[in-house]
Amino acid sequence: MSAMTLYVEKNSIIHHMDPLTKLMYVFVSIAATYIVPVHEFVFLTAAFSLLLIIIGKVFMKILPIIAISIILIISIIIVQGMFHPDNKTVLFSIGAITFYQEGLSYAVLLTVRVINMLSAFGVLILTTKPDELIERLIKKGMSPKIGYVFLSVLQIIPQIRATMGKIADAQRSRGMETEGSLIVRIRAFFPLIGPVVLNSLNDTRERAIALEMRGFNTKGKKTFLNESREYPYRKIIQFLLIAILMATIVWRVLL
Amino acid sequence: MTELLINYLHFSYTKDMEVLKGIDLHLKDQTTAIVGQNGAGKTTFVKLLKGLLQPTEGAIQFNGSNTKDYTAANLAEHIGMVFQNPNDQIFKSKVLNEVMFGPLNIGQEENEARDKALEALKKVGLEDRLEKNPYDLSLSERKMISIAAVLAMDTDVVIFDEPTMGQDFAGKERIKEIISELRSLGKLVLCILHDMDFAAEVFERTIVFNQGNVLLDGSTRDVFSDENVLEQAFLEQPHVMQIAKNIGLDGIYTTESELVAALERAWFD
Repeated sequence: MSAMTLYVEKNSIIHHMDPLTKLMYVFVSIAATYIVPVHEFVFLTAAFSLLLIIIGKVFMKILPIIAISIILIISIIIVQGMFHPDNKTVLFSIGAITFYQEGLSYAVLLTVRVINMLSAFGVLILTTKPDELIERLIKKGMSPKIGYVFLSVLQIIPQIRATMGKIADAQRSRGMETEGSLIVRIRAFFPLIGPVVLNSLNDTRERAIALEMRGFNTKGKKTFLNESREYPYRKIIQFLLIAILMATIVWRVLL
Repeated sequence: MTELLINYLHFSYTKDMEVLKGIDLHLKDQTTAIVGQNGAGKTTFVKLLKGLLQPTEGAIQFNGSNTKDYTAANLAEHIGMVFQNPNDQIFKSKVLNEVMFGPLNIGQEENEARDKALEALKKVGLEDRLEKNPYDLSLSERKMISIAAVLAMDTDVVIFDEPTMGQDFAGKERIKEIISELRSLGKLVLCILHDMDFAAEVFERTIVFNQGNVLLDGSTRDVFSDENVLEQAFLEQPHVMQIAKNIGLDGIYTTESELVAALERAWFD
C-alpha cells in the first residue's frame, strides 16, 4: 500500500537538501517574482526552478502538473491579451478579436510566475519525503498535533481506498452488482459507504488510543526517532536565500 | 452434484510477481481445508474461485461452466464466501436485515429471504438478537452474522476464510456443527485455516499451499502425518499428533478423542 504522496524516490543532490531550505526556496522564489515584476528576472527565476527540478531528476513528473495548469494559462493569455486596461498597441487580430502588446506582455509575466510557482513547489514536494519535512518542522517548534494531522491525511486516504476494495469484494460476494448503470451504482452506494465510514471511525479511535499509549500527549522534552542529519550547505544556501529576498525588497523600495 | 475444476491456474497482481503458479485441483463433495503460510496464495485462490479476481492463465469451471462467464455478483448465487473481517460487509442497522441482504440480492422473495435468514441466524445462535444493531454486538458475534449472511443465501459452495479466528471454544464447536450440516446437505465446503487442530479434526481433505503451489493434497489424515512436507511449508502438525509423537505413541491421530482412546488402550494393556 503506497502512501498518497507525490514524492519520487531518486538519488540527487536536491533530495539530500534540508527540507526547510527547500521550503524557504519555495517562499523566496515565489515572493521574488512578485516583488520584482521584470520579465528577465522572472524568466530567470522560473528557469532556475526548472533547473533544480532537472537536477532533482523529476522533470518528467512536473510536466503533467504544468500541463494541467495550461487551461489557466490560456485563459490568462486571452483575457489579458484582449482586455488589459493598458492595452494600446495592437499586435495582431484574428477576425474581430484583437490582441494588444501590453496585455500579452503582462500575460507572459503571469504565466511565467505560475510556472515558477509550480516548479518551486515541485522542487519541495517531488524531492522531499513528507515525514522528513514534517519532522523537521516539528523540530523547529511546530506542534506535533498539526504535524500528525498532515501526515495522517496522507496515510489515511490510501488506507480507505484499500478498505473500499475489501468492502466492494464482500458485497459483490453477496450478490450486489457494483458495475453497470447509474441506478445500479447508486444502489451500491450505501452498502459500500456504510462500512467505510464505520471502519474509519473505528480506526481513528484505535489510532488515537495507540498514540496515547505511546505517550503522544506527554509533556516534557521529546526525542526523535531519526537522528538529525547534517544537510549539505544548509546555512550558506539559507543565508543566500534570505540575502536574495532582501536584495529584491531593497531593489523594489529604492528603484 | 457440485464440483469445481481448476486447471493450470495462474495469477499475478503485478507483472513481476506471480502469486499462483499453476494450480490443478478437482474439488468435489468432501469438506476441504486449505492450509499454508501467510502469503502462500490461499486467499487469492478463493477470491479467484469466487470471481472477484480473474485468472491470468488457466481456468476455473463450476459445474462445467467457466467462471469467467459470470460476474462476481452472478456467481454469488452459487458460491458463497465468508470473509475474514465481518466489519467489511456489515452496514444495516439490524441483524436480520443484514442477513437478508444477500438472499434478496440473488432474487429470493422477501418472505423466503426472511425464513432463510431466520434459519441461518438460528444456526449461528443469534436468533434472539434479530433487532439489535450489529455494531452493538461483539466481534465474534459479528463474525457469526457474516456466516449467517452467507448461509442464508443457500449456495452450493460455501467458502470460509479463517472462520475460527477470534472464536472461543463454543464458537468453534458451532462452526464445526455448521460445516458438518452443510456437508450433509451435499454442499461443497472449503475453508482457509491457520488452526491445524481444527483442520485435522473437522475436514476430510486437506490441501497445503506453499508459495503459490499446491505442495500436498490428500485426505487430512495422510496430509497431517507427513511431517516433512508440513515442515517444508512451515506448518506444524496438529497438537494431538505432536503429543502422540512425544510420548512415543505410534499411529496417526487427528482428534483428541482418538488420542484419548489410544492412551486408554495403552494404559490398560
